[in-house]
Amino acid sequence: MPVDTKRVRGPEESQSPVLFLPPSTQSPAGRSGQGARGNADIRPVFTRCGLVSQAKGSSYLEAGNTKIICSVYGPREIERKDETDMKSGRLVCDFRLAPFSCRKRGAWIQGSEERDLSLALLESMQPGVCLHRYPRSQIEVNVMVLENDGSILAHAVTCASMALADAGIEMYDLVLGCSLRQDGDACLVDPDVLEEKGSWQSGYEENQGRVTLALLPNLGQVSGLQADGEMREDALPAAVRTCIDGCHKMYPVVQQAILRAVKKKAPPPEK
Amino acid sequence: MASVQISEAEKVYIMHGVRDDLRVDGRGCEDYRHMEIETDVVSNTDGSAKVRMGHTDVLVGIKAELRRPRPNVPDEGYLEFFVDCSANATPEFEGRGGEELGVELSNTLYKVFNSHRSLDLRSLCVCPGEHCWVLYVDVLLLQCDGNLFDAMSIAIKAALFNTRIPKVRVLEDEEGGKEIELSDDPYDCLRLRVDNIPCIVTLCKVGHRHVVDATLQEKACSAASLLVAVTPRGAVTCVRKLGAGSLDPDSIFEMTETGKRVGKALHAPLMELLQKDESLGKKRQKVGFLA
Repeated sequence: MPVDTKRVRGPEESQSPVLFLPPSTQSPAGRSGQGARGNADIRPVFTRCGLVSQAKGSSYLEAGNTKIICSVYGPREIERKDETDMKSGRLVCDFRLAPFSCRKRGAWIQGSEERDLSLALLESMQPGVCLHRYPRSQIEVNVMVLENDGSILAHAVTCASMALADAGIEMYDLVLGCSLRQDGDACLVDPDVLEEKGSWQSGYEENQGRVTLALLPNLGQVSGLQADGEMREDALPAAVRTCIDGCHKMYPVVQQAILRAVKKKAPPPEK
Repeated sequence: MASVQISEAEKVYIMHGVRDDLRVDGRGCEDYRHMEIETDVVSNTDGSAKVRMGHTDVLVGIKAELRRPRPNVPDEGYLEFFVDCSANATPEFEGRGGEELGVELSNTLYKVFNSHRSLDLRSLCVCPGEHCWVLYVDVLLLQCDGNLFDAMSIAIKAALFNTRIPKVRVLEDEEGGKEIELSDDPYDCLRLRVDNIPCIVTLCKVGHRHVVDATLQEKACSAASLLVAVTPRGAVTCVRKLGAGSLDPDSIFEMTETGKRVGKALHAPLMELLQKDESLGKKRQKVGFLA
């Protein structure tokens, strides 16, 4: 197994102190208790384009404590020419969680969770990009999660589409992401990490699930959908609709950030 | 994934057929291909099953091992999935070629079967915090002809039904030391309740309609498909959009509806078949791999 020998590794067998906390401190405080936002509200989002100068396009997104950085390289010549269809370009997505991003330290090498997220990101982004305009070339999208406070896949999708737009890659539409946590009858949009886990550990209750959706807002098409947990029959369509609404709430913020980046790159002529 | 290349004319032919609810092999849009299920095919496993669906062939072996439970759920056992894409299926899988697909498939299986309500993981616990049964579910793809997910989930359900875990007891001596004792009777086994285990239904969007159990040719005509995992009670444990295309919200609702209907209809005959098969006992005819 490839191990980074230059790093001090922890003891072979250790357990996180988090496990020994009483369960009451781990459960979500409840949104209404904080009075900050309702169940259908998304967290305030801050986002900017163009912070990595070497990349063709880049973006940074912050939603609550979730912080994601994304950079786009390319289009460049394809590396492996054998297997691919030459008529259209190839999109390559790399999703990484920084080792310090979660409560528990992660490994530097890409784990199976990250590979799964990379694939989900790729499948969500692909329908939005005009890949037929880039024959024989590949476009690389690198997403790094700096801090994980829930809904990382959804925000990574939004962040990646902003970076692609910033790089001037031709797209059919922006891709926006939104996720949701179904907890019994309550439906929490844009959950943070505690809400995401929720009572999952003692999760024997009915109708528990997580949904992440990616939307092309102008075309009204869903480019990515992932749901897990165990949800009642009627809960899923309702959750999909709520997620679509959540995506539309993000749209003005993203638009503004892209507009700002364009104005900075090509300032309007002064009269 | 294994794929075929088909011409534009063939695509049009298939799409027109689907529009009129008549597919190339004579099925309707919501029909499965002929399916063969055989359980208890590998003697070295604790439970095994082989499913053949058209030319898709999947073998599942389950082995149980005693391990330490996960620290965050000390009173539960767990399942581990591993999917091996054998180079027998297609030459593309040779070497590390099948690895990417294998990881994708096993990650999806984790999500599908990771529901507390579908399998009673607490029954797998031997001694909380110290020992539990871990079920290693190894899936081997022998032939690929589309619809791997559905075939895999049916094979896993059949193999879990077939699984027999030896009963063990925990003995405690005066000093508080614990010892695990295996039952003397080899037929004294723990069976798993599979009543509520989900099955996967993959729906392929072809033209304006969607088809169940797509062959490779039909898959080549579609840009996006939707995977829906349904329990016999109709709850959904996993949904996933697959492929490079996007879907209309309305067609997503339609497809999940179809998925639930087809999934619910799939469970009852499957359970009936498995129970009938088991009641035959030793009289059961063994078919094996050369069917």
